[in-house]
Amino acid sequence: MAHSSNTETHAGDQSWFERPGNIRLMIGLLVLTCAGLVAADLFYENPHPHFDLEKTFGFQAWFGFVAFVAVVFLGRLLRLIIKRPEDYYDR
Amino acid sequence: MIDSLPPGWIMIAGAIFLPLIPRAMQALAVLGLSVASLVLFWMVPEGNHGNITLFGETLNMVRIDAMSRIFGTIFHLAAIMASIYALHVRDTRQHVAGLIYAGAAIGAACAGDLITLFVFWELTAISSVFLVWASDTERSYRSGMRYLIIQVASGVLLLSGAIIRYVETGSLAFEQFTAEGETMSLGALLILIAFGIKCAFPFLHNWLQDSYPEATVTGTVFLSAFTTKLAVYSLARGFAGTEQLIWIGCAMTLFPIIFAVIENDLRRVLAYSLNNQLGFMVVGIGIGTELAINGTIAHAFCHIIYKALLFMSMGAVLHRVGTVKATELGGLHKSMPLTTIFCMIGAGAISGFPLLSGFISKSMIITAAAEEHQFVVWIILLIASAGVMEHSGIKIPFFAFFAHDSGKRVKEAPWNMLVAMGIAAFFCIGLGVAYPLLYRWLPYDVDYHPYTVTHVVTQLQLLMFAALAFVVLMKSGLYPSEERSTNLDTDWIYRRLIPGALGLLGTSIKAVDQSFRKDAIVVVQDTISAGRTLLSEQGVLGRTWATSTMTFWATVLFATCLVLYYL
Repeated sequence: MAHSSNTETHAGDQSWFERPGNIRLMIGLLVLTCAGLVAADLFYENPHPHFDLEKTFGFQAWFGFVAFVAVVFLGRLLRLIIKRPEDYYDR
Repeated sequence: MIDSLPPGWIMIAGAIFLPLIPRAMQALAVLGLSVASLVLFWMVPEGNHGNITLFGETLNMVRIDAMSRIFGTIFHLAAIMASIYALHVRDTRQHVAGLIYAGAAIGAACAGDLITLFVFWELTAISSVFLVWASDTERSYRSGMRYLIIQVASGVLLLSGAIIRYVETGSLAFEQFTAEGETMSLGALLILIAFGIKCAFPFLHNWLQDSYPEATVTGTVFLSAFTTKLAVYSLARGFAGTEQLIWIGCAMTLFPIIFAVIENDLRRVLAYSLNNQLGFMVVGIGIGTELAINGTIAHAFCHIIYKALLFMSMGAVLHRVGTVKATELGGLHKSMPLTTIFCMIGAGAISGFPLLSGFISKSMIITAAAEEHQFVVWIILLIASAGVMEHSGIKIPFFAFFAHDSGKRVKEAPWNMLVAMGIAAFFCIGLGVAYPLLYRWLPYDVDYHPYTVTHVVTQLQLLMFAALAFVVLMKSGLYPSEERSTNLDTDWIYRRLIPGALGLLGTSIKAVDQSFRKDAIVVVQDTISAGRTLLSEQGVLGRTWATSTMTFWATVLFATCLVLYYL
């Protein structure tokens, strides 16, 4: 099946999402949201915890961060083993 | 009477006549047949219909209960969305294949016995391969061949399992195959492997990542919905509560997320992501409690929609740009804003953001694990959730539509693709908000409430801190760059290792064979030349001897005979 590709190259027309100021703003908002979500742990109690870990302060926050980083670094390690040139199977 | 026909029959029957109508009308006919089939399906009452007797065995072609109803419905919805998405396609092959494939999957989901299941099981395999081949490239042809061999093998195992099971138990019914405390019989084991192949169990999984990204833009949307979810349905029907499945499922949630981090082809990233989502469902089936089975079915339902949405958005990019390689993309939000929004809704749904569909379904499975006090499983599913956020929540939308501007300016996706994506996005939000509508259909009465303060806050913590980790890794340059590459997976075993080993075996046999032949020829040649020397006119045996010598040897011969006679 033919893919219609009518691509033209433009550069320099920055959108809202690409302006450095806005990127800083979005990152700032993300950090604020994260801080707010951890602070939220002070204001409620888990009514049905299944494990002790769930009761600790900000558990899923640090766990999400660590798990994400771990997955990415495992990916980098895996790349060392399984990466081949793009045309590996075509040769 | 019409109740006795397998649901989806009108799609399969219609597909046969599809080539007879004008090409411009075919896409519309596919949509019409899918809608008609859904209406007919809903008119069939619950219960067993279509009992036929074959060689003295009663087969139950149509079984409608809560589970087959919900899978039949979502398969119809997927077919309708995919056919809207494919309205612009003018390729008879793809329309016929897609329609038969969807109809066969629906028929299989309503099969009450193993023979009916087998027939539809193989029909899904044979019809779907044409969606891969329709790409019309050497790559897709080879990939489709591998896909077909593996899928048909799954069917052969299913049939063997069914026959052995018939000998073991005298029944062909498609029901729970395992009982608690009993070891699995051979028949059940073969059936489990057959299901496991289609469900992309670890080491049996690679056909999925191999073939789906090679199919056509619209073909992949069809493919993403049926085969694997049919396998999930079959596992839930036949192997609920089989403990090994918990660990198989855990492995399935983990390994694909690591492959997805470094994959450059974004449709292949989605194929790994699909594998990871199946893992959640397989864990749910393994846990087997009412909450877990409900969660699995709800998750399959939501998953089909958001996964189709993600494949549709990447398909739209492929259609317009001509590639979905992350290295070639970026900045497309400027020229495809609607596709961007739809993709982000799909990405949010799969990641499990509150108010979107993944939040209300995946959490049922995770809660079911917690309620069974399966701490390790619970932790693994949390890691997997962060992993989903990585590859589907962030990587797909970020590298396609944002990241560095590739400079590519294309048209927005065609209207029909946008409509299909809009419908899918509507369902992603609708299911996230109006979740009781879905829960009410589930086979067991559920007492589960997704929107508790704890759940919303902890889930958002997990997701937002994962996003924060992404920002930190990007800013510090630790996030692996997108690179053009082929990443090896288990397909390397049958694409390189086995052919290589066979080649090596061939060359060594040839070498041994050649050296033997050479030695043999030398021996023969030596014998011939020795004979020539001996028998020549000057040779010992060939020359003319004196009469006295003859007499001497004749005397010796006689003497020897005499001696031997008297001994």
